[in-house]
Parts: sequence; C-alpha cells; structure tokens
Amino acid sequence: MGAQVEEEHEFGVNDTAADAVASKTKPINSVTDFSPELLSIYYSRLFPFELLHSWLSYDPSTLTGNTTKQLAGASILSRREFSTTVQIHGDEIYKRYQSFSTQADIATAIRKQNPLKIDIGAVFNYAPKDHKSLPGGKLQPVQRELVFDVDLTDYDPIRNCGCSGAAICGKCWKFMVMAMEVMDAGLREDFGFKHLAWIYSGRRGVHCWVCDEGAREMGNDARSSVASYFEVSLASEKNKNAHLPHPLHPMLRRAHKILEPHFISSIIPEDGHGLLATQASWTKLLLTLPEAANPVSIELEKKWRSNKHHSSPAEKWEELKAALQSFIGKSGNSKAPKNVSNSDKLKIEHWPIETVFKYTYPRLDINVSKGMNHLLKSPFCVHPKTGRVCVPINMELVQEFDPLTVPTLRQLMNELDEYAGDSVGHEWQKTSLKGAFEHFQKKFLNPMLNDVRKSQRAEREKRAAVVGDF
Amino acid sequence: MNVANRSSRAAVSPLASSSSAATTAVKGGLVEVDMYTDIPSFELSLDEFEEFALARLKVLRKIEELKTRNTPHEAFRTALASTLKQHLPNPKIDAASHYILRAAYCRTEDLRRWFLAQECKLFSFRLENCSNIREFMKANSIDLERVDKTEKERLRSKLTSVIGAPSPLEFPSTEYYKVPFMEALRLVSNRECYLEKGMAYIPLAKIISIVEAKYRVGLSKSLVFAGHNIDNATDEEHSRIGPLLKSMNSQYTGPTQLSSLDNGEALTAANVDANARSMPLCMSQLHSGLKRDHKLKHQGRLQYGLFLKGAGMTMEEHTAFFQREFTKIMTGEQFNKQYGYSIRHMHGKEGKRASYTPYNCMKIVLGSPPSGGEHHGCPYKHYDDENLTALLGKLKIGSEGRDAIMKLKREGNPNLACAKHFEVVHGGAGSVEGVSLEGVGNHPNAWFAASRKYYEAKEGGGGGKGSLGSGSKEIEVMAE
Repeated sequence: MGAQVEEEHEFGVNDTAADAVASKTKPINSVTDFSPELLSIYYSRLFPFELLHSWLSYDPSTLTGNTTKQLAGASILSRREFSTTVQIHGDEIYKRYQSFSTQADIATAIRKQNPLKIDIGAVFNYAPKDHKSLPGGKLQPVQRELVFDVDLTDYDPIRNCGCSGAAICGKCWKFMVMAMEVMDAGLREDFGFKHLAWIYSGRRGVHCWVCDEGAREMGNDARSSVASYFEVSLASEKNKNAHLPHPLHPMLRRAHKILEPHFISSIIPEDGHGLLATQASWTKLLLTLPEAANPVSIELEKKWRSNKHHSSPAEKWEELKAALQSFIGKSGNSKAPKNVSNSDKLKIEHWPIETVFKYTYPRLDINVSKGMNHLLKSPFCVHPKTGRVCVPINMELVQEFDPLTVPTLRQLMNELDEYAGDSVGHEWQKTSLKGAFEHFQKKFLNPMLNDVRKSQRAEREKRAAVVGDF
Repeated sequence: MNVANRSSRAAVSPLASSSSAATTAVKGGLVEVDMYTDIPSFELSLDEFEEFALARLKVLRKIEELKTRNTPHEAFRTALASTLKQHLPNPKIDAASHYILRAAYCRTEDLRRWFLAQECKLFSFRLENCSNIREFMKANSIDLERVDKTEKERLRSKLTSVIGAPSPLEFPSTEYYKVPFMEALRLVSNRECYLEKGMAYIPLAKIISIVEAKYRVGLSKSLVFAGHNIDNATDEEHSRIGPLLKSMNSQYTGPTQLSSLDNGEALTAANVDANARSMPLCMSQLHSGLKRDHKLKHQGRLQYGLFLKGAGMTMEEHTAFFQREFTKIMTGEQFNKQYGYSIRHMHGKEGKRASYTPYNCMKIVLGSPPSGGEHHGCPYKHYDDENLTALLGKLKIGSEGRDAIMKLKREGNPNLACAKHFEVVHGGAGSVEGVSLEGVGNHPNAWFAASRKYYEAKEGGGGGKGSLGSGSKEIEVMAE
C-alpha cells in the first residue's frame, strides 16, 4: 500500500528506480512513450476538457453547450478543488487548492502548467483558490464523489505470476477485473447507486467514482460505513485466524458466485497463478486446511501424487470441495464423523469460500474511500511512468480490458499524424481513445446528467408549488 | 438561546403540557419516551427552574454512577426506573428539565459530551421500555416502511443470512422494516442487515438502535448550536438565568446529610484525627500525608480541603486544622500569608465567591496523577500494584480482601475497588440501619458518611471520638 499511496496521494516527489519498470511483458521506454513535450501536445490537442468540465459541473446544460446561466462562484465546479503535480527544474511540486469556474479556465491553467498529474478533490463551501483569504477552518468540504481505489500492489502476497510492485501482466490484471465486478455489483444492487465511472489508474490499478447525488452528499461516517461493508478480513501469512462470519452475508454470497469461476479459470491453473497446478503448490494449499480435515488432505495428496491420476486443476478443486463436503457429512450418502466438533465442521465448510476470497476478493485501499477530502487522480491524466492514459473502462466489456494495450502518448501522436479520415469535433476522435471516451460520454455522462436534470426539475416544481408560482 | 428563554419565560399557554404530546409517549403519568423535538412552552418560577434542573441532574448522575459501576442490565433498569419515578414524575418536569440542562450543558465540549452520554442512555432505556414503539415512530415521523409478507418471504434466505438474524423459528413472527441505508450506518458497516437498492432491511428490534442514533445526532447538533448561540440571549434573560445555568454542572446533588454529621457533632480540627478511620483511602492518604509532612501541595490541599468542607468542617475549623499542622514547619504568619487566602477561597469567601463542591471520584480519577511529594489522586487509579498491595497490608486488610480489591484495581475499576475496600472494612454494612451505601465508590464524602454511620451504629452513638477502634490504630500506623 505504501507504494500506492505514493502514486495517488503523496504531496511531493516520487521517484524510485524500482518503479521505473512498469510492465513486464512490454517494457516502457520512457523516452518514447512519455515526455513533457508529448504531454504538452496531449493537453493542447487531446485532453477531453469538455468531458471533465461537463462531468464536474453536474450541469445538464453543459450537454447542449448552453451554459450562459452559470453563476460564477455559485456553481459546483467553481468550488471544486484541483491539485496538480508540476515539474520545475527536476523537482516535483504539488499545488493544492486550485479552482476554476469555466472550462476555458481549466484548459488554460492545465496547458500552462503542463502537470504530470491532476488530482480532483472535494467541492467546498467556498472556492478553494480563495483559501488563504478565508479564516482558518472556514473552508469545509460539502460534496464529493464516493471513490474507491484498488491497486495491484496490495495483491503482492498472492500474486504468483512473477510480477510485484508496479509491474503488471495479463494474469495479475485479472485481480482488477474481479474487484471491479464485485464492487460494481455491490454498489449498484445493494446501495442502489447508478452512476459509476471506472477508470484505469494508468499503471497498476483502477479507480471508481460513484457520482449519484446521494453518494456525493455522504458525510465521512457514511463513507466509512460503505467502505467497511465491503471490507473483509482475509486470511494471510500474518493473520491465519481470520475467518468469515457465519452465516455468509448475501453480499459475500454474491461475491463468491462472481469470484469462484474466476478462481477456477485464472487462479488455480498452470497458465494462471498455478494454485493447484503442481505438486508443490497443491501441497501448500492442502496445508491451509483446518487441522480437523487432515484425513482429507492426506487422502487427496496420495491420490493426486499417484502417476495414474491426471486430473486438471479445475477437477482437483471440485474433487477437494466434494471430499470436504462428504467429510463433514453434508453430502447425501455419508455421515459425519463423530470426532469432528461443530466449530471444526463450520471451519471446514467455510474453507473453500475463504480460500476463494483469499485469492480473489477485492483488496480496497479503504482510506481513500473514507474521507470526503481525499484527493484522487483525475481520469484522462497520463501516467508519467507508463505514458498511458487513464482511460474510462467499459464495464460491459471489462473482461476484455487490457491495460497493456491502453494507448501511450507516443502511440497517440502517431495516430494523430496518420489520421486521414473526415474532420471531427474533437481531435481525440481521431485516435484510439475514441472508444473509451465516447463510452464515458454515452454510458456514464449523459445518463447521469439526465438524472440531474430530472431531479432539478422536480426540485423546481416542488418549490413552485410551495410559493404557488407556476 | 431560546431553549433557555422559553422554559423560563412567562409564556402563558393553555396547551402547556399537551404541546409535546405528539412526540412523547406517556403512560401512567410517567414519560415513556421523548425525542425532545418540540420546545415546551409553559410558565416556571425561578425556583421551579432550578428545582427541576437539579431533579434531572440527579437522574443523569445516577445513570453515570450505574454505568461506572458496571451495574448488570436488570439491576440498572430497576434502579433507573425508581430514580425516574422519584425525580421526574411528570412530562412537564421531564421536558422542562431536559431543556434547562441542555442550556446549562451546551457551553463546552466536555459538558456536552457528558450530557449527551447520559441523555442517550436515558433515551435508550426509555425506548426499550416503550409499550408502543411503532406509534412512537409514527409520531416522530421516522420513516419506516414495513416489509410486506410476500416480500419478506421472497427475501427469506437473504434476511436470515445476516449476523444476528432471527432464528428460523422466530423469523415468521419477526416484523421487518426497510429504511434508507443512510439511517442504518452502523448496521451497514458491520453487515448486520440486508441491503437492496439502497434500502436496509431491519427487524423491529434493531430499529431501536437507529432511533437512538437519530436522537444522538439531533441532540448533539442542537447542543453545538446552542453552545454557539447561548451568549446571544438577551441581557435580561442572561442576568436572570445565566448564573443559574453556569453553575448548574457543579451543583452538588449528593445526599444532603454529607454537609454535617448527623449526631450533631461537627467535624472539627479536634476530632478530625479520630474520624480519619472513616475516610476512604484517597483521603486517609492525604490526612496521613499532612500529618507526616506538615504540609500538602496545591492539588492535595484542594482535594482534601473540599472533602473536609463537604464533610461539614467549617472554614474556621479548616483553617485551625491546617494551621496546626503547617505551623510545625513554618510560622503562623507564613501560613496565613501563603495558605489563608486559598482556604477562604475554597469556602467562597474570596475571589469570585463561588462555593466549590467536593470532588467526586470521577474528577479525582480523571485528574492529574500525583508526583513526588504529592498525596492527592485516587490510590486505586494512580498507585502501582506493588505500592497499593503494601499499603493495604499496612492497613491490616486480610489477604482475601486484599486480593479482591487488587483484582478490581488491575481490571481498571478504581470505583469498584474502592467500594470493595469499604465492604471489606465495614463487615455487614449493608444490613446496618441508617447506613446508605449509595455513592460509595463514587464520592469520597459518601464513603465517609456511610462509614461514620456504620461506626456510630456499631459503637452506640459515640462517633469515633476518643475510641480506640481498630480504625484509629490503622491511622496511627500510617501517620508514622
């Protein structure tokens, strides 16, 4: 998590040699994929200021471009904190409390600063740029998207693909896919949130921005509660006694339903993390069984080791589960052994679920979600270490999202150069950013702003009814 | 600060006691439960104003006492019910006193926290007792939607796979409600409820915790608001009730006989040594410290001096007693110059002329621990195990009693340890007539009074005067 904090929130310099290796399969050449010059071109030609502005204004009129009635100072946008990381003479400087009232203001400032990173903070009661002229303690956050941050570094203890730290590969990216599926389902089905934006963080993680009005207005206590709702203490080397509570909450049951297929397809096989692929690995796994289940592990160990036995990892997993079930007398034709206590039975019954969770359940950086005033990197930024754009992720096609094919700055410049089609409204439409950006607009931005419009209309009518002014 | 204003204003309202009926459940004349959302409006004399406030203060302090003693649930309920009946017998007193204390306890963060803690405890006690909780919810517009039968059946497996869910047997008779999840954050964070589309599905029993949370938030907010605005009350109001409110939290509500000894024998410089055997350990430590060093440091003088005052020692006797000891190492003139003022101050004769109340255990326990040469503080809190064991041994407390006391001390219950000490040295005190154990372990003066009564009954009215009971010997040991 330390490294992750560095990436997302540290207010200062971050530069370690180890971080420079960003991708295992496709080493990033920072000279060609990222440079301040390329970044400057990106900000002047490709950065979708209109999407960022439309989103953070929460103003449906930005859809039509008819924004004349905006009152500077009163709008949500003008009270939003932006922070930037800029490089001056080799030093990274973190500038907090910036705020802008129009799209042009944002674009001008960003193009002038050419920041390595843009962070988005809370909406305050006053414009944050005036923070120095306000009495201390007067500036208070009043609104903020509910955000979630998942980062692969938190998966290091269970990554068995050779990657660690900032490095990622297709195998370990699967953890992010699983996290996104579980969180997306939970936030929508349990909490009823509708407007979720999932964004690739540019290197080894994802961010989720929950933008429903109810979510934005939540206080810190509510954020903590939602975060804790999703938090599961997983068994680890340090804490072997972490057990899921019984009965299994419906949210966890659903998560298990989503996660077990992933566990079978990408955690246990040889071409995944190999949890049941070799004798060494399955022995290690069988050792994590509750002690009372020793007879099962001895029997399976013997069986799997014999030369005649050539079951696949998936078959082994089913075999293991069935053996445990019958051991505790849960399957039809067997009866429970008398010498196994009820609490041991429960432990054995839960073991397969706990094992799936240990290797697949989302590992959230909970502190990012808990505070209203926590800064998080803006979508559409470019990660300086990879040169890749923080693109929105289409949840409908989440399984196909490949972080290693996300366009880099160099690639985008080539695409701009090579473009030979019709003229377009925005230059990003000439590049491979088109799909992700348009999806963000059509599937996230438009429906959300429509909802804002509806609730504004309802509010107006309510007010009109009160004063009798129709 | 209209909270205070209204309750004292001569607002003649025919609706007086019925105005709060909407949010109050009343049964048999007693308030069942009240959210205190409507500010009552009726006439109170200044005397009533103070009387009602002190009545509630007694209730709240009782709650605090019961909590610190870790009173078991049932005993707690019985004790609180009888205290309520005694001090807050009708809705008018209940509502008025609540609002007066709100005004008195809104001034600082510490006061607010204390008031909030006791009031919330009182609220949840009443809510649990409430005979018609649904009616109450309705009256307080707490938005609860009942989950109908078909939906409940549809969700059966989900509702029952939550921690703390009713058993399959109880499930059919359990009523479920759905509330926006924001109203049930504690349950949400512990995954103690089923969530669907932003609604939390909660059995009726757990709804109580939600109402409590709501009450706490509301009360906390209005206390903070009142705290910011109390100084905006008009001058007229301020001069009438301001001083009353300001001194409210330091009013002494303990048993009144503490202020003098019942058999007419006042505590004097002459008999204080003989009475030392009736002092709780903290005070007897100060007493022997004074006898040994012929002086006490500032904190010790305050703690001990106010205790003596609370036990009925007059300012003159107090001065005489301290002078007798102090002048063994200094001249009378030095003593008067350095200590006379502070003794008079303690008795309200100097400075702002406030009458200071004796420290209760809470204050002593939470106060600064004694350092070298100081004797104040609570031995059960501030002494280390070794010193305390040795001290108890010196006091000739048998090993059995000592172990019991030390166990409570180690568990971090100084109040209980102190009460245990009382029990050990006053065998069968509970059955001795006239001895009230109320407050023992919570107020040094209560300990003292109870002990005096005990010896009086045992020794036949002679007080401790001149008698050479085992107690005096103990003191002699310590005074060496």
